[in-house]
Amino acid sequence: MAHEALTYLEERKLVKRWGGPLPALVNLAFTLAIFAVTWWIFQDPRGVMRLYTPYLGYNYCRWWLIILIWMAYTFDFWPFKRNWVRNAHPLQKGLVLSLVSVGTMLFFIHGFFEGVLGNFAFAYFNPKQLMKLGLTEFYSTEYAAQACMMFAVIASWLSPAWVVALEGQPWADDRQPVRGFSIWLGTFCLSLVIYFMTMHNHMGILYYPWQYFTSICPPYWEQFAETVSANFHVAWIMCCTVVVWFVEGIWERYPFTMIRRDWPRRIALFVGIIVVAWALCLFFWYMQELVWGDAIRGHRRDAAPDWRWLHVGETAIFFLVPALFLQFYCGNWPNRFSTPVNVLIRSLIVVAGGVAVYCLYYMYAHFLLGTQKGFSHPQQFPMIPMIWLIDIWLINWWFMDGWPGWRREFKTDEELAEERRHIEVNHAWTPGMGSGLAVGLGAGVAAYFFIVWLLPLCSATFTLVK
Amino acid sequence: MNRRDFLKGASLGVGAGALGAMGLYSYTPLRRAFLPDIDRKMTDFGVCKSVKVTNISETSWFDNTIFMQNVTGAGGLLVDQYTFNWPPFGNGKGIGKGTYEEGIALIKPCLDKGDLHGAWEIAREKSVNADNAGGFACLVEIEDLEGSKTKYLFDCGWSYDWMDESFKREGIDRMLANGEIAALILTHEHMDHYWGFPVVAKYAPDLPIYTPSTFYPQGKQYIKDAGHRGKWTEVTRGLHPIQPGAALYMFECPIIFKVFGETSLYCNVKDVGLVSITGCCHQGIILFADTAYKELRYEKDKFYGLYGGLHISPFDDWDPKYDDLVIGLKKWEIERVGCNHCTGLITAQKFVDAGYPVVKGTARFRSKTVNYLGNGDTIAFPA
Repeated sequence: MAHEALTYLEERKLVKRWGGPLPALVNLAFTLAIFAVTWWIFQDPRGVMRLYTPYLGYNYCRWWLIILIWMAYTFDFWPFKRNWVRNAHPLQKGLVLSLVSVGTMLFFIHGFFEGVLGNFAFAYFNPKQLMKLGLTEFYSTEYAAQACMMFAVIASWLSPAWVVALEGQPWADDRQPVRGFSIWLGTFCLSLVIYFMTMHNHMGILYYPWQYFTSICPPYWEQFAETVSANFHVAWIMCCTVVVWFVEGIWERYPFTMIRRDWPRRIALFVGIIVVAWALCLFFWYMQELVWGDAIRGHRRDAAPDWRWLHVGETAIFFLVPALFLQFYCGNWPNRFSTPVNVLIRSLIVVAGGVAVYCLYYMYAHFLLGTQKGFSHPQQFPMIPMIWLIDIWLINWWFMDGWPGWRREFKTDEELAEERRHIEVNHAWTPGMGSGLAVGLGAGVAAYFFIVWLLPLCSATFTLVK
Repeated sequence: MNRRDFLKGASLGVGAGALGAMGLYSYTPLRRAFLPDIDRKMTDFGVCKSVKVTNISETSWFDNTIFMQNVTGAGGLLVDQYTFNWPPFGNGKGIGKGTYEEGIALIKPCLDKGDLHGAWEIAREKSVNADNAGGFACLVEIEDLEGSKTKYLFDCGWSYDWMDESFKREGIDRMLANGEIAALILTHEHMDHYWGFPVVAKYAPDLPIYTPSTFYPQGKQYIKDAGHRGKWTEVTRGLHPIQPGAALYMFECPIIFKVFGETSLYCNVKDVGLVSITGCCHQGIILFADTAYKELRYEKDKFYGLYGGLHISPFDDWDPKYDDLVIGLKKWEIERVGCNHCTGLITAQKFVDAGYPVVKGTARFRSKTVNYLGNGDTIAFPA
């Protein structure tokens, strides 16, 4: 049964075509095959187009991610008719929507940022403008791509956060495309403001001499972050991006859903995403200190503060991969326990999965993906393959309704009512949880210090990159 | 107590407790309680009396725009250098489509006859922008406490023609032929430091050589194909003393163009301090200095001098992290800096602006700035 008031992603129900783990395995094989082929064509430094450097491929995959989010979450597939979205074959939808997303991505990168902003506002968005200033083509391309990509980094946090946390308010009740354009414009403008305060300073000191008259140099975060690089902001903003999807997926927006009043819940969730992201961000930094020792300002490798901050964001992305796989292809397993227990078990699975993906990447990426061996090569960006894979999964799950392992059905009124009842019953605070909460808090702190104690031992025992 | 409620609360608490601890502890001064104190090994590798470096060639390529066009055309900075179709391994198939095997097969007959100019002429025909190739090489003279000097050739450049010309300009050809040079130290596998090797082998095929142990099979084969017959020492990660007061140190670091690992030279100069000599310093000068601090005992516990390519902005690019380096270098209080090659023109200028003791050069023989210790210039430690 279709529901006009709901978004397409809310009204649909994806049902496994076969029992057991077969659908997940088939979709994994299918998406990995697409990943392998497209990686070779577009990204691989040994492949056809070799977009991996200078940041072009990085820019594309970051922008593709945000376009996919805009299309599915913000615009609810507008301007495509709901009837077509509901009934078209998944392959047809996947192909058409993917091509539209790529076209939109190219429009934003080369049309808006490079063509409009790069020619009429900021030279650093346009490679040709930079070449006129005497830069080589390679670095003109890299700087412009980096500048453009940094906007996508911010938007890929704010755009979904507006929908997930603020529930699309205050435009949630508007019809498309008013709703979509309102949210899009709101988050786009907010992203621009944050861009000016976090990334513009980075671009200002990219040139000799520093551009004192147009940006604050050295930037305000220098003493706190031990670097003048905006990688410091990439770190916490990437964590925000990842936490948005944790909240939306494996955490089911819990525990914020325990707040019954709408606006306090929305504000708490929006701020909560940032708070959790900062906690992860600082911990990922500390992890590196525990494993590799102190950061040393001016270092070029794994002790460089700017790289350490970048690696915070990279580490966060490693954990997003298993989180999305668990949510999409494993039915957000487990579901049989109470919500907090389910959320905790999923989080532990994601931690284990993230560590496994991290280890596998650094052990084998230089063989499989054509990247450089080692952790901290200046041109080594694990975010590219991770986000590239995530893009493919989002297309498979959002655009193709999980084809071939799943088929699309619609939720019945009873099922929707059960979803609401589930939240009301299971996402509720009861006084009986108090003593458990106190014990759990202690256990959580103890677990933290256990990991802190364990990491140097692991570092001394295992060598990932030989 | 309701068991189910307790578990719900406990599950929530575990997450909140762990995340809370992460946020409230991980970046506070208290975190240092779990970080180990630096344990300085203070390895004694002897002392020497002085060190002199003569820059034979620091101009690895002459036109940065052409070089970066090659990089762009081949597919970026992570593409294997042997596939670029750079000389001398050109196969005539164009940028990014070369192989070592096809390239060496074309020039091997000339190498076997010692006709390096002929080999380079073939390479010029089959490769991309052969005339842009130069090379990096310098002569390091280490004087021991008795006043005896030992000469080391430090890298051997790229273009056969350019390196032969540069060797003759500085008398290196004669020193090699006369056996005055004790060994060739190859810092890393990059084309501009290594691919001129046949020029060395032509004058001194029995010369002992040191290479990082991380050379690729093609790089190892090239040593044989160039006609080398002398002792070959592969330097593994860590310290490798070569004479009292001088030690190589191999850093296992990933480098652009798929190269891996770089060796640099530490010299402990009596009553002065530590002098560090690098080819490209891809490991970064701060790591280079910090490694010495953690590993070595040196005079006056002083980081005195630095020579070489410092690999900061080699392609005249810039990044705020390089400013971190310019700012961060200050704490090492280096007294004498001779920089060139991949240091970058902007970096050298920023060093000068920041008041670092940059020893100026003469900008001769195609070197571009007096901020560099250029081709034909010398630097001595102590001054």
